[in-house]
Amino acid sequence: MTVAIVGVGYTDVRSTTPDVSFKESMFEAAVKAYEDAGVNPRKDIGSFITAAEDYYEGYSIFDEFVPDQLGAVLRPVCTVGGDGLLGLITGAMQIETGVFDVVAVEAHSKASDILTLENIMTFAFDPVYNRAFDAHPFFVAGLEMRRFMHETKTSREQCAEVVVKNRRNAIDNPAAVYPAKITVDDVLNSEVIAEPLTRSDVSQMADGTYVIVLASEKKAKKLSDKPIWMKGLGWCSDTPWLESREWGSTVYTHLAKERAYKMAGITNPRKQIDFAEVDDWFSYKELQHIAALGLCEKRKAGKLLQKGSFNRDGQTPVNVSGGRFGVGNLLEASALQSVLECVLQLRSEAGKRQIKDATTAVAQSWRGVPTGTGCVAVLSNEL
Amino acid sequence: MSFEKIRDPRRVRHWKGDMECDYIYTAGIAGEKFFTTIRDKAKLLATRCAKCKITYLPPRIYCERCQASLDNWIEVPKTGTIETFTTVHMDNNGAPLSKPITLAFIRIDETDGGLIHEIGGTKPEALKIGMRVEAVFQSKSKRTGALTDIKYFKPV
Repeated sequence: MTVAIVGVGYTDVRSTTPDVSFKESMFEAAVKAYEDAGVNPRKDIGSFITAAEDYYEGYSIFDEFVPDQLGAVLRPVCTVGGDGLLGLITGAMQIETGVFDVVAVEAHSKASDILTLENIMTFAFDPVYNRAFDAHPFFVAGLEMRRFMHETKTSREQCAEVVVKNRRNAIDNPAAVYPAKITVDDVLNSEVIAEPLTRSDVSQMADGTYVIVLASEKKAKKLSDKPIWMKGLGWCSDTPWLESREWGSTVYTHLAKERAYKMAGITNPRKQIDFAEVDDWFSYKELQHIAALGLCEKRKAGKLLQKGSFNRDGQTPVNVSGGRFGVGNLLEASALQSVLECVLQLRSEAGKRQIKDATTAVAQSWRGVPTGTGCVAVLSNEL
Repeated sequence: MSFEKIRDPRRVRHWKGDMECDYIYTAGIAGEKFFTTIRDKAKLLATRCAKCKITYLPPRIYCERCQASLDNWIEVPKTGTIETFTTVHMDNNGAPLSKPITLAFIRIDETDGGLIHEIGGTKPEALKIGMRVEAVFQSKSKRTGALTDIKYFKPV
């Protein structure tokens, strides 16, 4: 059995949303997703999953605050403390059990409500070994970036090109908050946070909500003309000890990919994957993730990106949506923004930024510093 | 309907809330031994999994690769190699630091781990990946059994 995405619903992404509560945003995205899938949440959806992190939400036991706006009151509901892609994978597994044939998955960001994001991030660090310094939590990104550049001989300019590409890609995405034509110099000359990382190497926060409806193979064929099949799924956590990690690479993506590609029968990703949406919380991170997904030779991501291999018209387009840099950083929900872009492209509904004849895509997620956790999904419009 | 549109965003209602969270964090069996040894002897301890050939620093009482219990404690040198470093210009509230702080991950000799710590006794411009450094401890009377009992690492 293969699980399919049969409906997507989403709000506009905005830099701030003072007019609506997170519940109202979820309601809007849910109504749109159920309409897209042609399902009634009160009758047809067996289980509801949200991906959320209490501290980002400002609630303890946030799971309790999700059922009503999703149409999930008095129904099976759970929250996974992970990114949206982990929620989606959890939904697919619930369908695989045979207990449910339709599952809804939600993730959102109301980042504009968070007044002390740095404090929340610092609170994610080991209290005994890693919280002793009065330094911005992105110091971990500075450490990773320098080591990555050292090991792969990637230049500072090549990292900056990621930002230039993704913000340029966002110009053709009506949902994006931060489209721009900027230059490598703009990135290099912006304020330094943790050398070599500048402010422009960090994606900017935004608000947005996504709901995705999944269905079993049998049900998907009934519900949808254009089901998008979840062909391969993988997720992985590296050791939480920063002291025991590899600083220059992302082993979590590498291992999650191995699992997902094996399941999907991907043996030559450069040939078989038509495009990718990868995590780009920081500039260098996209390059690490491209390499870990096997979309280029080891250590070559920066060089190839500079040459245009990952542009919309390149060998393997990466983050055609604009990614976190262009669309906006949606915390745990950016993973579903990646999935949404794959779905729109594979349905040939991506408008001006449509990639021609794409059949297979990969979506990859990461949860930000200091985590070593991420997911990979191979999606296709062919069963 | 336009007359219902929000014309003045200052009139949109918000409630400000605090999540006040105070905790004590338990160092645990391994952390207790590590930090009291730093405090009393100015020495670094690690644990070793002989089967996986991994020496853990910070020490743990279990091996994360084979799940074995570890009680093979060894003293390791206070020297190491800079694996990566960064000079941070912002504090943990996002405000500019009047005095930037240089942090590094130091791979401690004879271990597969290390410590993230401050670099002192040199200028940041002089730092390079691969540089050899050693821990500078606070004087005994100032040591409390915490990571800050190491003042910083300085080039050897």
